[in-house]
Amino acid sequence: MTTIKNEVLIRVYVVTLLLVLAALAVFSRAFVISISEGKKWRDLGDQQFVKLMPIEPLRGNIFASDGSILATSLPFYEIRFDPLTSNITESLFAQKVDSLSMCLASISDKFDAKGWKDYLWKARKEPIRGVLIMEKATQEQYERMKMFPLFRLGKYKGGFIASQKSFRSHPFGTLALRTLGYVNPEDSKYVGLEGYYNNYVGGEQGEEMMHKVGRDLWLPMNDLKQVDPRNGDDLLTTLDVNIQDITQEALLKSIDYHNADGGCAIVMEVKTGAIKAISNFRRIGKDTLGEIYNDAINKRTEPGSTLKLASIMAMLEDDYVNLEDTVDVNYGKTRFFDRILEDAEKHGMKLTTVRHAFEMSSNVGISRLVQRFYGENKKAEKFIAHLRDFNLDKKTGIDLEGESDPEIKEAYNAKKEWSGITLPWMSIGYEMTLTPLQVLTFYNAVANDGMMMKPYLLSEVQRLGEPIKTFKPVVIKRRIASKKTITMAKSLLEGVVLNGTAKDLRTSKFSFAGKTGTAQVNYGKLGPDDKKEYQASFAGYFPAENPVYSCIVVVYNPKQYGFYGAICAGPVFREIADKAFTLKTELHDCINKREKMPMKGPMLPSGDAGMAYDIDFLLDKLNFRYYKQAKKEFAALKVSGDSLKLTDRNIDVNAVPNVVGMRLKDALHLLENRGLKVGVNGYGVVRRQSIPAGARVAAGAYIAIALE
Amino acid sequence: MAVQLSNQRANQSLDWITLSIFVALVATGWVMIYSVGYGNSGYPQDLGEFMFQTQIGRQSIWLFISFVAFLLLMTVDWQVWRTVAYFIYITGIVLLLLVPFLGKEINGQKAWFAFGWFTFQPAELAKFGTALALSSYLNSSTNVLQSLQSRITAIGIFVLPVLLILLQPDAGSALVFLSFFIVLYREGFSPGPYIIGLVMIVLFVLTFIYEPFYVSTALIALTGTIFVNQFRMRKIYWWIGYVVVLGLIVFAIRQQFYWTSWLANTAVCFALGYWHYERNKNRGNFPIMVGLFLCVVFSFTTSYITNNILQEHQRTRIKVWLKPEECDPQGELYNVLQSKMAIGGGGLSGKGFLEGPMTKLNYVPEQSTDFIFCTIGEEYGFFGSTLIIVLFVILLYRIINIAERQRANFSRYYAYCIAGILFVHFAINIGMTMGFFPIIGIPLPFISKGGTSLLGFTTMMAVLLKLDSNRYSI
Repeated sequence: MTTIKNEVLIRVYVVTLLLVLAALAVFSRAFVISISEGKKWRDLGDQQFVKLMPIEPLRGNIFASDGSILATSLPFYEIRFDPLTSNITESLFAQKVDSLSMCLASISDKFDAKGWKDYLWKARKEPIRGVLIMEKATQEQYERMKMFPLFRLGKYKGGFIASQKSFRSHPFGTLALRTLGYVNPEDSKYVGLEGYYNNYVGGEQGEEMMHKVGRDLWLPMNDLKQVDPRNGDDLLTTLDVNIQDITQEALLKSIDYHNADGGCAIVMEVKTGAIKAISNFRRIGKDTLGEIYNDAINKRTEPGSTLKLASIMAMLEDDYVNLEDTVDVNYGKTRFFDRILEDAEKHGMKLTTVRHAFEMSSNVGISRLVQRFYGENKKAEKFIAHLRDFNLDKKTGIDLEGESDPEIKEAYNAKKEWSGITLPWMSIGYEMTLTPLQVLTFYNAVANDGMMMKPYLLSEVQRLGEPIKTFKPVVIKRRIASKKTITMAKSLLEGVVLNGTAKDLRTSKFSFAGKTGTAQVNYGKLGPDDKKEYQASFAGYFPAENPVYSCIVVVYNPKQYGFYGAICAGPVFREIADKAFTLKTELHDCINKREKMPMKGPMLPSGDAGMAYDIDFLLDKLNFRYYKQAKKEFAALKVSGDSLKLTDRNIDVNAVPNVVGMRLKDALHLLENRGLKVGVNGYGVVRRQSIPAGARVAAGAYIAIALE
Repeated sequence: MAVQLSNQRANQSLDWITLSIFVALVATGWVMIYSVGYGNSGYPQDLGEFMFQTQIGRQSIWLFISFVAFLLLMTVDWQVWRTVAYFIYITGIVLLLLVPFLGKEINGQKAWFAFGWFTFQPAELAKFGTALALSSYLNSSTNVLQSLQSRITAIGIFVLPVLLILLQPDAGSALVFLSFFIVLYREGFSPGPYIIGLVMIVLFVLTFIYEPFYVSTALIALTGTIFVNQFRMRKIYWWIGYVVVLGLIVFAIRQQFYWTSWLANTAVCFALGYWHYERNKNRGNFPIMVGLFLCVVFSFTTSYITNNILQEHQRTRIKVWLKPEECDPQGELYNVLQSKMAIGGGGLSGKGFLEGPMTKLNYVPEQSTDFIFCTIGEEYGFFGSTLIIVLFVILLYRIINIAERQRANFSRYYAYCIAGILFVHFAINIGMTMGFFPIIGIPLPFISKGGTSLLGFTTMMAVLLKLDSNRYSI
């Protein structure tokens, strides 16, 4: 009996012990988690709802020189929706989801109303808190969505979560896109102006402590540790949207026409070195060209004939040659050691002047001269010292990321591949590599009477419209050569256009100077099946007598319709020069784009007369409504009431014409055609004429007209 | 007059301590559910909306139902339960049979009957029914657990609902039924199978953590140690020799001669055993060898089963429990980590009512049901957690006391059943929130949200108190 009782007691104890052990285990575990490891778990937990979050600054704008916005940051919103806020009950959701879906379908093409409904229901069932509604909503879309059913209950009750972000917008599209560049801190890519001046335009990140107040909802803690972001400053660049546009278009046309691999062009202001335009294109697909690299500042190639200017200038500096000296061009063919050098174009001449050898870009002429004066007496270093004087061995220092170093060989340094033919080849722009910008900077110095300017793109940093830092033009070298040399160099460049390789590009409208270049890229390493590859270029400035802009155009590997610099690159230069020249005055708004005023009697042009075609054209362009009754060459405007009539102005062939109401151009034309001598007084519109219309007078009679 | 007297005695002998703890735990539960649901925005002002749209409102309705049920059950004659035991049990079984067909699927389990927002979990009824039925069966004759057949019947009574519940599948509820082994132990089951079960669990855990190779190596080495210890003569030399051998084996393992060293280890162990037998002609070591063999086989078998037969999600659960360092903190480990952060976040005295950010922001999943202990830990800290643990321990201890003071055997069996059920719920639920047990979805009694669960536990407690209050009636 006792043993049974004992055994029962033991069993009760065992059960109780089990209970006590379990309780102790649980208790000790609770102790470990909340006390001994407490700090670890607390910190881990706290990290989940308090963290230091960066506040992104808004990047500054980049302006063209006229204030047009080239790059700006535009806000957009990422819209998300929490279908499970405590406020949105199942019944409320079911009640509103149809109208919400319809509204969403009206604003987004992602789904139709049915699709949106399914999407939202799925999000609620799954559940997805913060389901994506729109990735990039504009301000306007955001404002509209804020008023949608459910959304209008707000962030906490309606689950409408909108986070503002910004993206970089380029209102001028691809215009100078590569030069503007971009910044992508995640891949540490800092490209172009955006990259170079990121310190200014990027602003400074701020930071603040945020704490989590709900699912995906973070609110600032309003503590004193908050650091406000400094928004980016604005950059006022030297770029001119119009010239940039022209440059880009002209270059593109040529690359396309000649089926080239790419090309680049730079326009620089002669007096300051301010870059007005940079354009680069490379073929990225069979039919597509893209501005993917800034070749103008970082593609280093052998410049070819454009560098003959430096050779001639070196010889002029040393007084070795006069431009009118005779040089033996040997029918365009010569030999240096084992290598034969030929002129690019056959000319059949044995002897010519130094000037003409340059103008027709004779390789033989220039290289023989350089070889005679520097090569035969082993003074190559003297020649190279001149190139250094022209700063051709140094970077220009332009304010863009990625400018390449030029490469000019050291004289007689066999380790650096100096050979007997190096010097003659150098004299015509081979055996050295330069970027287009470096060549242009040299030409610009010539145009600027020897003063070499540093090319630059940023003229001002602005904060809230006020300049905080201004960049003045920088002189790299006050004088790269003597005045005499510069004058002769300029006359040579003008000669190229007047009589030389670029004579087909001449225009009577304005004068320009420059040098063509046709460099064979793969000379000396050509296999039997390889095609010759060329690089066509043109460097120069305009107008010749008082240079305003210098410009270089390079076209890489043109494959059809010619490959010469004068054919591929020259026309681009001409087109840029043509248009830049006409655009020299500041542009105005087009008149017909102004708001149209109501046309009332007194405001209508009454009594004006002139060529019917001209008046017609103008009235059309200016959007006037008028009754056209004129059928003859000359016409006059008459106002009756509020309407405008264009009637014939009869011109009697044998009598003095009525020129009242006409502009000087038409009046002079008519009067002088009658053989009259015209005295003009004032400007504007002819108001009076000394001999009345219809009078018959002898030829050579004097007539005075008064313009007002 | 006599009837009135007996009633008076009955009321006097109501166990107020148990009742108070029970009420305190239910009240705590209500406050915690209120806190979890409060969130950022608080509760709606409208009473109707509060009652029917929020968790706490529905829980309040269930609380009222449970209160009424408690009062009703207290009026039911205590003798009734013995007679209706099988009826309730069979009803529970039938409902369990029906639930796979008629039930509503929630979180991949078909464990609920749903009538609008009113959901009912038949497993809760089955727990109560099984407790009554088992008690009734044990009560059917004085020597009921003497025959093998009766033992099997007793086990069968609660294994049947386990099988049905596993079909849902609801491993947590099924596990709870294993608590009936406790009452069987108290009523005379031999401890042998319990010890074997314990060894198996330990071996399983060790195998999962350390690989069967190392577990078996350790077991074999341990057996060898026992054999060496049996030598009487020159014991110290035997010991030195054996330690050298073990050192060589460890070295060989380090050199990655796994199976060579394993075989060497086994050979040494057998040789020692055989030497001993040769010397003493004593078969005393034979059972040790068999035990070793079985353990090694078991170790490799469980390893094979966990790695090849269990499904990925099951394996992951075990991994979260035993090898949390290999789990993805944002993935399978997320729940436990969040739970620990919430409990740890409470520190010594907690963050205060409605002040727990992890609770409010719903970081911990299922925090009003299975993980409600975190909410207590976060808002009331270590003190709060300890208080709840202490309350449960007192309650369980009290129920064991109640059981032992019964004159009617039925009442004792029933009290032990209830103690077992509550114990398993308590230990596993709180243990799992602290990463101490695998995550098995069972509620914390009286506290977790869930109407059926609250009503079920209330019923169990009411019947227990009623039976106890009539302990002098025979």
